[in-house]
Amino acid sequence: MSEPQGLKSTQHLPVIEKTTESELGQSTSAADYIPLPAPDAAKDGSGRFWSARRVPAAVLATAVLAAGGLLLYDVVAVRADRTAMHWRGPLARELAERPLDDTWVLVGAGVATALGLWLLVLATTPGLRGVLPMRRPHPDVRAGLHRGAAALVLRDRAMKVSGVRSVRVRMGRRKADVRAVSQHRELDDVRADLDATLADGIRALGLTRRPALSVRVARPGRKG
Amino acid sequence: MTGVPRIVNRSLLGLAGLLLAVFGGSVLAVGLGVDPPSWWLHDSRHDVLLSDADRARWRDDGWWWPAVIAVLAVAVLLAVWWLAALVRRRRLAEVLVDTGDGAGALLRGRALENVLAGEAGALEGVQTAQVSLTGRRSAPEATVRLLLEPHAGPRDTLNRLTTESLAHARDSAGLASLPTEVRLRGAGHGAERAP
Repeated sequence: MSEPQGLKSTQHLPVIEKTTESELGQSTSAADYIPLPAPDAAKDGSGRFWSARRVPAAVLATAVLAAGGLLLYDVVAVRADRTAMHWRGPLARELAERPLDDTWVLVGAGVATALGLWLLVLATTPGLRGVLPMRRPHPDVRAGLHRGAAALVLRDRAMKVSGVRSVRVRMGRRKADVRAVSQHRELDDVRADLDATLADGIRALGLTRRPALSVRVARPGRKG
Repeated sequence: MTGVPRIVNRSLLGLAGLLLAVFGGSVLAVGLGVDPPSWWLHDSRHDVLLSDADRARWRDDGWWWPAVIAVLAVAVLLAVWWLAALVRRRRLAEVLVDTGDGAGALLRGRALENVLAGEAGALEGVQTAQVSLTGRRSAPEATVRLLLEPHAGPRDTLNRLTTESLAHARDSAGLASLPTEVRLRGAGHGAERAP
């Protein structure tokens, strides 16, 4: 995918150029860029995406099924005058003999507590931290952008700034951290260009809550 | 949402977590020397988890074993239902189309999914699109997964999807509204330099 830019036959390039041009006029410097959400963001936003917690639910259901099924089978077998499975005797003895301050009881209780707290966290937190809510284009439509896609868009924009040799974008939930390596141009100029381009790029992401922007530009190290 | 509502998953996970945390925490606290109230399960750090007397307390009562078996059976059945619901992804088989003459028509859900996915996939900036319909047949909901082409702007692509594909699907199926959830991913590609 490395067509020269002058080639207008590709389908997607003209639109990007059009939006870039029309919006560059609005943002001339980084000082104009305010990372706060617009006043109506709460109404227009997609809201946080909540995970269905399918995998932990499947694991827990399997565990309950296995433990419950085994116990049920054995209890019914004993009722039907068969012998109990061999693990029931030793288990009952251990439960009845180990005091609560026994190391293994404490370890088991600690593990159970930690597991329980983790399940509570899973049950109450939204998850899906990798999906950034977007502004609703229509009241019926909710949309979320994966962080990787957002970082890719910003990187592509940053690579178009002249003098930029390589860019690394780390997209957080609240902050886009951009590190660029530049040659053949004043670092401050490159930085100013990057600020403007990326502020514009962040608008093009269409997120509910626009992330703050942090740009760092450096000369290439000796090792490149 | 497809399959079990997330509310069910989260409630059951929370319940299990609460039970584990309360019992594990209490054993941990008592084992480490905290004095429990007199009505609590364990008396002191020298108590055991489950004594023979506790275990056999109701064994001679007629209701004990049937009760144990019933509780276990309910737990097992619930777990089976939960697992089955988690594995099975509920998709909408058909959509009720209001034809305006009071008769109505049924549209196959899979057909609407395919049309919508085809239209969305042909949009500028979209590499591939996956659509699944959920909800009820008189009030369907759509879940759309888009893979963005390199250089596509997410906001513009989402606007195009909304004003073209989704609006078209909603109108052609005669729906008053089509609540939609969209997730956008990016197709990875190498870094490119502007010439």
